[in-house]
Amino acid sequence: MNDTAPHTGLLDRISDRIGLAASWMTLAMVIVTFIVVVMRYVFDAGLIWLQESVTWMHAAVFMLGAAHTLQHDEHVRVDVFYRDMSERRRAIVDLFGLLAFLWPMCGFLAFTAWDFVAVSWSIGEASREAGGLPYPWIPLLKTVLVLMPLTVALQGLAMALRAVQTIRGAR
Amino acid sequence: MEWMALLLFTAVIGLLLAGFPVAFTLGGTALVFAGAGVLTGTFNEALLSGLPNRIFGIMTNETLVAVPLFVFMGVTLERARIAEDLLETLGALFSALRGGLGVSVTVVGMLLAASTGIVGATVVTMGLLSLPTMLKRGYSPEIATGTICASGTLGQIIPPSIILVMLGDVMTTAYQQAQLTMGNFSPKTVSVGDLFAGALVPGLLLVGLYILYIVVTAIVKPSAVPPHESDGSRVSLVRVLSALVPPLALIFAVLGSILAGIATPTEAAGVGGMGALLLAVLRRQLTLERLREIMRSTLSISSMVFLILIGASLFSLVFRGYGGDDAVHQVLESLPGGIVGAVVLVMLVMFLLGFVLDFIEITFVVVPIVAPILLAMGLDPVWLGVMIAINLQTSFLTPPFGFALFYLRGVAPEAVSTAAIYRGVMPFVAIQVLALILLALFPSLVTWLPAVLYGN
Repeated sequence: MNDTAPHTGLLDRISDRIGLAASWMTLAMVIVTFIVVVMRYVFDAGLIWLQESVTWMHAAVFMLGAAHTLQHDEHVRVDVFYRDMSERRRAIVDLFGLLAFLWPMCGFLAFTAWDFVAVSWSIGEASREAGGLPYPWIPLLKTVLVLMPLTVALQGLAMALRAVQTIRGAR
Repeated sequence: MEWMALLLFTAVIGLLLAGFPVAFTLGGTALVFAGAGVLTGTFNEALLSGLPNRIFGIMTNETLVAVPLFVFMGVTLERARIAEDLLETLGALFSALRGGLGVSVTVVGMLLAASTGIVGATVVTMGLLSLPTMLKRGYSPEIATGTICASGTLGQIIPPSIILVMLGDVMTTAYQQAQLTMGNFSPKTVSVGDLFAGALVPGLLLVGLYILYIVVTAIVKPSAVPPHESDGSRVSLVRVLSALVPPLALIFAVLGSILAGIATPTEAAGVGGMGALLLAVLRRQLTLERLREIMRSTLSISSMVFLILIGASLFSLVFRGYGGDDAVHQVLESLPGGIVGAVVLVMLVMFLLGFVLDFIEITFVVVPIVAPILLAMGLDPVWLGVMIAINLQTSFLTPPFGFALFYLRGVAPEAVSTAAIYRGVMPFVAIQVLALILLALFPSLVTWLPAVLYGN
């Protein structure tokens, strides 16, 4: 929700910038898909790399947008009870969730993805399809496997600071 | 260690109720269980090392690329006020008809709900748009709220909804798995297009039944659905056509090209997104500010959906690691009543889970566990997908826990009592159950259209 996301602090600004920049790729996806369709059905030409670029942008969008989505509290919650909780209660749930779920998950994802990404860079991986995306697009995309958890964890830090403030302030 | 799997499932449901975002609760809880297992030597940590590869598989899943594109199309149609226009015009057009406003709410719900995968969003939009008008026209709160809840959730099961795209993708994998376990190594496939085709007739059947109920109520009980007294302002044909034709043409073109097998869902969604942009430009509704908002919305809905998928895949990795799917397999196989018993149990469990989990979570968490087993028993994958979809929609409507009811309560005026919402939705729940029974008795309602279109 927009009203609960005051644009304070460096962490929020980072998430916001990355998310808004990445969001342009949604428009690009629509346009490029349209071009691919026109090329295929009108000119009978299949451009594999162009088609792969749509998948590439799609993946980059949701991975790089994850922190922004967290900042705006748009990751779906089961809010049967959360909805009726006091501000303080909610802050406690958030802080607990960050410590028990979000940070461990982000840490684990970044940790296990590290080698996966490093290997891709070191072998100069390119698309397996002939005429697909050349190096370095595939390693670049794999790199978001590390970037996503890092940015989400940082946004989690902003969330934690806010939660602590709420818990203190409500006393 | 199957009991660990059961404990994991129970723990996840319990912890989700606390209200922390689903994606991280799913993944985080699974990690805690995996960690405990590694420490006690009951969980093979090597299972988790394939995780980055699995996530990269999600990122490059070509079927699911259709999701953000459909979201983009839907959000654009919504922000360009095309839905509002449609509702107003249809309402005016049908005003002569008894129950006309109710009918137009149903039709618009069917058309517009395709845009988002979140139960709440459509119900809220429909509630804000049409509840005040319906009450002003003298509709009883019961029938007004019932119609809105039912129509607001209806769009989820009518193609081209993103729910069906996701369910289709999960079904594809499940069907392959099922056939491999049956020893069929050149498996038949099921696609998102099949599911779209299969859901069309049942979806329209539901629309028909809703409309029938509203019209019959209008005739039998005019106090609940009063005839509309014309305020003298007649809508011109030009206005009707200009509000109605472009969005309808767009939706039919998108759906038609998929059903006719001309385009993949992804291609159709991309062209649909372009069409929606064009419509918005022609209506002079597209400013840079609004475009930014459309892109931002698409990004966060997409991120929300796919992070749940990532969390869910971590969950199912650990669930499988503890032998959870074997346990579920044994239970389903050993039920009295064989396949019927298994389907009834699965549907019942999903119905109950629908009280706490949204469509996306159930699709990504529960369906991959149960669908391969049920399909290996010989069920038709398209039929199963459609049954799951309608079953969940019913769950979202059922008092006192149905999702849709909470969301509508949130936007309904105080004068409308919660009890009225509950009473109002009950006939629609009955219609849903009737539809489920019909589909169970006559599976060809689902399988006929895909067979005609794709001949399998």
